[in-house]
Amino acid sequence: MVKSKIKLQTKKLNVWYGNMHVVKDFTLKIPEKKITAVIGPSGCGKSTFLRSLNRMVELVPGARVSGEILLDGENIYDKDVDETEIRLRIGMVFQKPNPFPKSIYENVAYGLKVRGITEEKKLRLLVEESLKKVGLWEEVRDRLNRSALELSGGQQQRLCIARALAVKPEVILMDEPCSSLDPIATAKIEDLLFELKKDYTIVIVTHNLQQAARVSDYTAFMYAGKLIEHGRTEEIFERPKNKITQDYITGRFG
Amino acid sequence: MKKITAVGITVVVLLVMMTSAILLSRTPTTTSTARSIKVKGSTTVLPIAQAAAEAWMRAHPRDSIIVEGGGSGVGIAALIDGTCDIANSSRALKEEEKQKGLISHEIALDAVCVVVHQSNPIEGLTLEQVKRIFKGEITNWSEVGGPNLEIVVYTRESTSGTYETFESKVMARENITLRALTKSSNGEMVQAISGNPNGIGYVGIGYLAQARGVKALKINGVTPTPETVRNGTYPISRFLYMITKGQPEGLAKDFIDFVKSPEGQKIVEEQGFVRLP
Amino acid sequence: MKEKIRLKLSGKILTFPPASVSILAVFFIFIFVFSQGLPLFSKISPFNFFFNSTWRPTATPPSFGIVPLFLGSLLVTSLALLISVPLGLLGAIYIAEIANPKIKEQIKLTVEVLSGIPSVVYGFFGLRVLVPLVQKTFGLPTGETALTGGIVLSIMILPTILSLSEEAISSVPVEYKEASLAIGATKWRTIRSVTIPAAASGITAAIILGLGRAFGETIAVMMVTGGAPIIPTSIFSPVRTMTQTIAAEMGEAVFGSTHYNALFALGIVLFTVNLILNLLAIRLIKKKKW
Repeated sequence: MVKSKIKLQTKKLNVWYGNMHVVKDFTLKIPEKKITAVIGPSGCGKSTFLRSLNRMVELVPGARVSGEILLDGENIYDKDVDETEIRLRIGMVFQKPNPFPKSIYENVAYGLKVRGITEEKKLRLLVEESLKKVGLWEEVRDRLNRSALELSGGQQQRLCIARALAVKPEVILMDEPCSSLDPIATAKIEDLLFELKKDYTIVIVTHNLQQAARVSDYTAFMYAGKLIEHGRTEEIFERPKNKITQDYITGRFG
Repeated sequence: MKKITAVGITVVVLLVMMTSAILLSRTPTTTSTARSIKVKGSTTVLPIAQAAAEAWMRAHPRDSIIVEGGGSGVGIAALIDGTCDIANSSRALKEEEKQKGLISHEIALDAVCVVVHQSNPIEGLTLEQVKRIFKGEITNWSEVGGPNLEIVVYTRESTSGTYETFESKVMARENITLRALTKSSNGEMVQAISGNPNGIGYVGIGYLAQARGVKALKINGVTPTPETVRNGTYPISRFLYMITKGQPEGLAKDFIDFVKSPEGQKIVEEQGFVRLP
Repeated sequence: MKEKIRLKLSGKILTFPPASVSILAVFFIFIFVFSQGLPLFSKISPFNFFFNSTWRPTATPPSFGIVPLFLGSLLVTSLALLISVPLGLLGAIYIAEIANPKIKEQIKLTVEVLSGIPSVVYGFFGLRVLVPLVQKTFGLPTGETALTGGIVLSIMILPTILSLSEEAISSVPVEYKEASLAIGATKWRTIRSVTIPAAASGITAAIILGLGRAFGETIAVMMVTGGAPIIPTSIFSPVRTMTQTIAAEMGEAVFGSTHYNALFALGIVLFTVNLILNLLAIRLIKKKKW
């Protein structure tokens, strides 16, 4: 089914929050440099699934994970794996834009400093590069020292993407990145995604079916914690194999 | 409507409470059935006044005598302001205080003893040496025949009558070193000296009796005792006074007469002071 | 409808007097202190008050130099901050970020209890325990020093600094922490580079509050700093604070005398310092609002 190389894959992934079994036996292959959308009704566990991919889920008290997640074939949940290393390779953009209460420049430079880059010149170069990639450079080049919180919602979210890109991750996880933005800002980001997938593997969780259809190459449908169906986006949307998938896509529920 | 009434009632109740508190807090005037006076001032005189007041009130249950400390200066200031009836003082009245109509009554004798830590090998000093130590000119115990330790001088706050007596009889109005540590009462002074082998300070002879850990030095070869105080050979001695504004009347007069009486003087001795000659 | 308007109006009428009474009270105290203190400068020159290093109010002739007293207050307060700010901040970080909920509860409870202890108890503890300890540990002629005062004060203001800082840190939106961790920063780096800077205004306010309390503390310092009005040459020097001076000497100062005015002048200085500190706090908080 999938011709491209597999970047990330989960094998019988289970996630519990205390006694709540949120993600059940999830086995999914995510192809490299493609956009994979994860869709499903509210509360089906999409966000939890996403957050297990960069080990953010373990920050929740009482969270438990079993199964494997392989990045380039290596299990990221292995005992000797440093989760901060994983997060440098797998970046994340959140639902509500969350730039730091710092300047625009500092926001993008933050990740670079985490990476250990301290030289002024190099930092400036890389910050500019990131901001250009998300199409923000022209808009903010004269006010890099102003607070990031002065930007509009759409600009902030692009800034967050720039921030994530700065550390040159291999995978970018996006948790409903446009749900708090207006249509114009949303369109800008969707255009950005087409650009980004040339260089990055993207997994995007969305409850917006049209967006998933527009943007993604592959789609995974999740329901009550389980992976119901997964395949090329056209297949899923035009010829779903599972009844639940069909009901969801035609708007019967969710 | 209900809310306003509820709050309104609360406000009225509070006002009533406040007013009655203010009215009731006025010092009760003497009536024919119960008398009361307030005695305030010197912490040195305090134990005498307290013991005498208790004895009086046992014999005259309807009388009330409230005794407070604060220092001679505090008591005299209160007497002038009219907030007490008798001021206890361990120092004589100043000229300007006499001009305000204050009259002093001698009620006992006190000696101010120079004290050091009980482990200090020195037995006595001359008055001149004490003065120079308190001036800050002699700074090491070895300079007066003691061990090689830095002298730490303790003095009282200027509100104290004990301080005034020490200042006049020992310092002859010369300044005590600014480096002296200040204590606010005889009790604190004893506590400080008993905890510091380097220390030197001064207390009223009355506090010496129950003081642990300190010893009184001979001054000019004379040990502070009731005899040496009465016959004047001990150089740092003074009268203790009860002071009134104008001639004392009523309970104030009776109380002062009592303290001066043989029974009162017995109480003076029991408290560790010296009866009047 | 009329009912609502009535209630709203009565609410305003009822709350206005108490609120304005408290503001007026402070205002009147302010005026009183100034009125009793300013006459000093008609009796002695301001230079002789502010730059004179001898405080001998009962000598002949008397001297009312504030320098040793001001420096005394300054030294003791500075020492207290030096000890309690790092401890308070570290403690706040620990409670807010690291401790598990059970330990968190225990510590918070302890801090609450500590902050309720009256200052005279601290003073007593300082006098009986710290003074001999300091004397012995450092081989000093006396343990009544600025350092001892600083230690006692630091214990007193620690709860304030710790709990307010902890609140500030806990209030930092979790989104910032998430963003930092998602980029690959460690927990410590997140605390250092994101959480603390974001909580900076709250932490600063906590410190200034602690500073204000330390500067105005009277009883506890009185009992352990020795009360000698000398310019401190080291942290082991006995000192006399401005607050202590007012408390110890006010009883004797005759109403209207120069000594009396001088003590109120000390009050003016304390008031002014407090005012400046509060203005500084407000400025800092405004500045940090992103």
